[in-house]
Amino acid sequence: MPHPAVEIKALSKSYGTVKALNKIDITINEGDFYGILGPNGAGKTTIINIITGLVFRDNGSTFVFGKDTVTDFRFTRSKIGLAAQELSVDWFFSIEKLLFFQAGYYGIKPKEAKPTIEELLKRLGLYEKRDSRLRQLSGGMKRRFQLAKALVHNPDIIILDEPTAGVDVELRKDLWKYLRDLHKSGKTILLTTHYIEEAEFLCEKVSIIDNGVVLKEGSPKNLIKTLGKSGIIIELKSIPKKLVSVINDLNAIIDENKLIFEVKDPGTSLPKIIQKLTDERAEIKSIKPNSSSLEEVFLNLTGKKIND
Amino acid sequence: MINWVGLWTLTSRETGRFFSVYRQTILPGLISSILYILIFGFTLEQRISEIQGVSYTWFILPGLIIMNTLTNATSNTASSILQMKLLQQLPDLLIAPLSGFEIALAYIVGGTVRGLVNGVLVLLIGIIMIDLPVIDPIKTIFYIFLVSWAFSSMGLILGQLSESWDQLATMQNFILTPLSFLGGIFYSIDMLPTWAQKLSYINPIYYMINGIRNTILGINSSNISISFIMAFVLTIVFSVSAIFLMQSGKKIKQ
Repeated sequence: MPHPAVEIKALSKSYGTVKALNKIDITINEGDFYGILGPNGAGKTTIINIITGLVFRDNGSTFVFGKDTVTDFRFTRSKIGLAAQELSVDWFFSIEKLLFFQAGYYGIKPKEAKPTIEELLKRLGLYEKRDSRLRQLSGGMKRRFQLAKALVHNPDIIILDEPTAGVDVELRKDLWKYLRDLHKSGKTILLTTHYIEEAEFLCEKVSIIDNGVVLKEGSPKNLIKTLGKSGIIIELKSIPKKLVSVINDLNAIIDENKLIFEVKDPGTSLPKIIQKLTDERAEIKSIKPNSSSLEEVFLNLTGKKIND
Repeated sequence: MINWVGLWTLTSRETGRFFSVYRQTILPGLISSILYILIFGFTLEQRISEIQGVSYTWFILPGLIIMNTLTNATSNTASSILQMKLLQQLPDLLIAPLSGFEIALAYIVGGTVRGLVNGVLVLLIGIIMIDLPVIDPIKTIFYIFLVSWAFSSMGLILGQLSESWDQLATMQNFILTPLSFLGGIFYSIDMLPTWAQKLSYINPIYYMINGIRNTILGINSSNISISFIMAFVLTIVFSVSAIFLMQSGKKIKQ
């Protein structure tokens, strides 16, 4: 059986008296698009930094394709590309030169790195700016450069720490598309985010973490199904007084002309509700599903909103 | 197993970095050395006829070489690592398949090249401006290289341990600069009272200056073998400490 791309076992880390991670277990299989979802300070970046070698682990183990990230650091680091959340600054070299340096650190000679660097600069819309210094780039360009740096050695695993933090909607969509393309090409992607819609849109599997503990793991769909609520909203043209008792019998909440039903199985409940309402000659204007989002799942699990 | 391409890349980055800003990294040392020769040398030479049998300007030149070498070697590594730390560039290195040994070595070589270039240029200024005789050119270059390597390693230690420019400047201004000036650049320690001579013997920079004065002018104020041994020992101690510190990840990894 092949080793998982990333395997984290009972990982713990404290900064002084603050426990950042408390016996975290996460397994990411090759080819997964995996998200770690949590508010600021939940421990997301610490997990990533331990895997990539920026932070020492206190206890537990971290493996990349079955190799320990500490003892076999040359192997594990060569498999990972990291787009860090913090944007770096350099005053001395052009962005193209910086990419050559980054490739060099991974043992790739300039001649071998050239085609990949050119392709990345073009794909990420930085080719025209290749001779510019980092400080001359816009925020969005810096974010794309960060991604180019992570991809310059063609890693199997791409780790993105809040890749779209602070970027505009258009660029975010563009980056999402690029990440999906990378995933389709066979890359394993690990993403941390506190944008719920990002995780919902991109990730096949997510871990919801808070206070250094994994609260739940699963696909966004399954998490919503098992931990969220499902329901229906039926909008009527009007709600005559005689209908109110019927509505109460159906356990619906009335919000102006809308009836909000919380049902376990909309598929079987919906025909019965409609039948009852039409029997009472209610005029239905619209019917909409009212499912929970991952955001509500997060709220249910942690008792707080992700951006709190 | 060594990541040779990675090591070479970081080394060339470190040397390329200071060459790209030569106005800040090479010219100031040259200009200040020329000024020292003009102001201290030519003016004081009229009052101080000779020290240890050589003209005053010749006497101070080896000290100026060492001061320029060690200042540049130290500040190259110290400022480079601190800058990378403060500007979030260091993670780019730390996530790469480079060992602490390779990272430290690349920084040290970068600083050594800068120290060597600066030291040799001051030597050339001495030869051109004041007809400085160089008794043993190969030993002199080797000595500049050794001092450069030692203080490049020391700079790496200072830079890695510093958390701000202020901290780094404090260490450089309050330790390194006084030690350089008190190492006998402008005077022979024979001119000092006995207690001050004894203090000079615990100043490592004194041995560096004494040694190079011997390779250039053939004069020395104490046993020359001790100076050479001290230079070697300091180079090894500073290098090993810098490599271990980098491997430990102190102040750069949490």
